[in-house]
Amino acid sequence: MSEGMVISEEGETVENVICKTGIEELDVQLDGGIPVGNTVLMVGSSGSGKTTLCMQFLANGARQGERGVFFTITEPLFKLTKNMQGFDFYNKKLIETGMINLIDLRIISERLGLDTEKYTVEDATALLEVLKDIADELNVKRLVIDSITALCYRLQTKEMIRDFIFKLGSSLAAMNCTTFLTSEVPPNEVKYSQYDIEEFIADGIIFLGDVDRSGDLIRTLQLIKMRGTAHSRIKSAMSISSKNGIELTPLLKSRA
Amino acid sequence: MMTNTLIDGLKERVSNAITINQSVGVILPGNNYSDLIQALLEHIQSRPQDVWVYVTITRPYESIIKQFGDQYIGRNIKFIDCISRAAGLSKIDPNCTFIESPAHLEKIIMEIMDVFKDKENNVQKYLIIDSLTSLLIYNDAQLVTEFFAQLTNRTRLSDIHSVSIAIEEEMNDNINKIIYLRSDKIIKLRESFI
Repeated sequence: MSEGMVISEEGETVENVICKTGIEELDVQLDGGIPVGNTVLMVGSSGSGKTTLCMQFLANGARQGERGVFFTITEPLFKLTKNMQGFDFYNKKLIETGMINLIDLRIISERLGLDTEKYTVEDATALLEVLKDIADELNVKRLVIDSITALCYRLQTKEMIRDFIFKLGSSLAAMNCTTFLTSEVPPNEVKYSQYDIEEFIADGIIFLGDVDRSGDLIRTLQLIKMRGTAHSRIKSAMSISSKNGIELTPLLKSRA
Repeated sequence: MMTNTLIDGLKERVSNAITINQSVGVILPGNNYSDLIQALLEHIQSRPQDVWVYVTITRPYESIIKQFGDQYIGRNIKFIDCISRAAGLSKIDPNCTFIESPAHLEKIIMEIMDVFKDKENNVQKYLIIDSLTSLLIYNDAQLVTEFFAQLTNRTRLSDIHSVSIAIEEEMNDNINKIIYLRSDKIIKLRESFI
């Protein structure tokens, strides 16, 4: 975490503590980083790089002494770690030392005796309490839920989704924990969530998409919103490499 | 003998220009292309203390090595091949980074800057773009213009000298304008002049 100054709604200069993603170009676009405690929606279709970006965010934080937790619902833990082993930013020791904690939410649900398909209001409350307790006990400063879409699928109404994300975000913000929620959307659509609610509750939206150039797909990243920071809105070309993980450079604008 | 004189002449002109200028554009007829590449590779070989990145869009990396010999693969040169992978060749070579597609211009910029990123400040850094006109085969001219503008902005800020090649017969107005606008020095080669 580091500090910067922002102008408040009342026009006063106030201190703003930021959470650096550790991805240099992204932090520049964020005017330094994400305001600590923000809940950020990481939006993209399948294969857009959401999970990789989130893991790099956790790994970079762990190297600075910030403990993180990754809750997965969409893929088993062994697959997740296997996929990450190819990246230089990934270090098994970060897991072994507890600086990054990987937790399968489906196992938690089972242990709580929750219906794996549909949650009642009580189920959702119980799950929320467990998430908060884990974050509190581990004293995590970075948290990821991959994906919020799969979790929302189990919540039966829009009100439940709104309530769950709002309470989760508020509790984690109070712990100075910065949260990434991955949101799965169909490809080639400007849509930020499956249930059209998540984006209104989140403090920030990072959109991972792609552009077609001569039949080749170029990965892109764009900051749509980030409360509390004067962020860029340019569309960047994004690359994922084993050496550097996520890299960004300004997207060339085709006039063809 | 005639070829050697030609290559020596080219080598002298290019090496003089690149030492003095930050950004050099070389416009040449297609039938002198191989002579220029040989001259450049010989110049690189003679300067082991410098760091070079050679971006090839005209010929596959392996073809360059086959024609000019692997003695040019030294510790001071790294190739970025933008066409082999798109043609179905996917070899792994520690001296070369293969870009998926010559249409992924941003990735080319990222790879170039990545090679130079960890180099010490006191090392002279050089970049060869071979060639701007070959990029036109795969990309819209406006896009190539924008690519070249962004690349030269970044190389200047990082104290990287660049040699940008353009084949005369493949030139269009966009490339002609941008290479003149963005280069500190233009070397226009004519067979009779060489």
